[in-house]
Amino acid sequence: MVDGKSQSLFKDKPIKVLLAKPGIDGHDRGMFVLAKAFRDAGMDVLYAGLLPTPEEVIDTAVNEDVDVIALSLLNGAHLVVFRKVADLMKKKGIDDIAIVGGGTIPDSDKPKLEKIGITGNYGPGTPLKTIIDHITERAAEARSRKLGIA
Amino acid sequence: MMKKADDIANGIRAGDLRSISRAITLVEDLNSLTIGREIIKNIYAGTGKAGIVGITGPPGVGKSTIIGNLSSKLKAKGKKVAIIAVDASSPFTNGSFLGNRIRMQGNLYRDGIYMRSLSSRGSSGGLSRSTWDAVRILDAAGFDRIIVETVGAGQADLDILGMAHTIAVVLAPGLGDGIQAIKAGLMEIANVFIINKMDRDGAFIAMKDIEDSLALTPQNEWKIPVIGLDSMKMEGYDDLIAALEAHLSFAAKDKGNEKSRFFHEVKAALLMEAESRINSLTVSSMSGITDLDRKIRDKVNPYTVAEEISRSVLDPSS
Repeated sequence: MVDGKSQSLFKDKPIKVLLAKPGIDGHDRGMFVLAKAFRDAGMDVLYAGLLPTPEEVIDTAVNEDVDVIALSLLNGAHLVVFRKVADLMKKKGIDDIAIVGGGTIPDSDKPKLEKIGITGNYGPGTPLKTIIDHITERAAEARSRKLGIA
Repeated sequence: MMKKADDIANGIRAGDLRSISRAITLVEDLNSLTIGREIIKNIYAGTGKAGIVGITGPPGVGKSTIIGNLSSKLKAKGKKVAIIAVDASSPFTNGSFLGNRIRMQGNLYRDGIYMRSLSSRGSSGGLSRSTWDAVRILDAAGFDRIIVETVGAGQADLDILGMAHTIAVVLAPGLGDGIQAIKAGLMEIANVFIINKMDRDGAFIAMKDIEDSLALTPQNEWKIPVIGLDSMKMEGYDDLIAALEAHLSFAAKDKGNEKSRFFHEVKAALLMEAESRINSLTVSSMSGITDLDRKIRDKVNPYTVAEEISRSVLDPSS
């Protein structure tokens, strides 16, 4: 459950999350389910549309100054593409936007993603509440950095 | 903290996108109100150069698509363009789906156009304040044209539109009688009318409908044009740009306009100042100003108490 501290952190400006499928993957039904769940959880939700490049995802995330980028792929390219997004962030020196992942990600790949800062990595069947709580936790870190109170 | 505000202000003046984005976050978030205000104070002298265009109209008429195409066209003419899109948030959960961006996604990245989505969240005053501040930040960052998109409904949206030099109202055929209802509210604020989806049945009737109503309205020196657009074929955009630019130069000549805009800016700042003072009151701080127990005992009505203490609550030296 969301603790009191993060609730007051997001009282006036809700968590802002960017949903993106940065690769050749048009299966966005799950994204719409998440978009609605996040909105109903009180977040500001952006969706990058189909087939954005990692560069476009970062460009949108920076312009909108989101708290969390939520990446999803069902096509097996997560190790390559998620890493590309994380590398671009690092190259630009962005450390106050969190990245979380999801999709069809084998258990053996999860530690590799965690190592580059991409957490969550939930698969099909995960309760929405688990995902929302995780996003809230990562958003609290990101927002505190943005406001310089971390 | 002041150093941080100065750094961000310098970044804004240099046109650094991350400084601009961060500054907008800071003015949006009441947690960082002090630093947000420092930034605005720092950059304010550098504002006033951008042409601010408000684009409004009912949902689904194609505002976001038009703004995407329009900003690409302006960009091609050598203008630096930024977009602020205001989306409604749920009054129940405060959440929102900021969907405007998808309609212009292709144009944005390809043409290097800055765009920011803002959500309305319960408080209407808060939204117009953060939108005005966001416009000031983009203005100081050197953007030539700032396009503000709203759904044009309610007082908050009218407050936002109050800062635009030029307001374009977008309508489309097929709204039926709805068009009549909308016209009543939007007729007064439009400087330019746009009929989008000119490829659809009834488009010319919709256009004529607006022109007829305009003919019945007393006009000042600015004759309100009605522009037809076919956004699928990119038709009509040169006419639209010509109309918007003509009105921007018309508005720039009007000095009374400038004074009324500044009046509204100060009024908004005052409201915010008063609101924050009133919101910060607690039972114990109010008891410090007046004897609440006694007022309760004597059955004094709240209006009288408010009149009594308003001076001390609003006095900045207290």
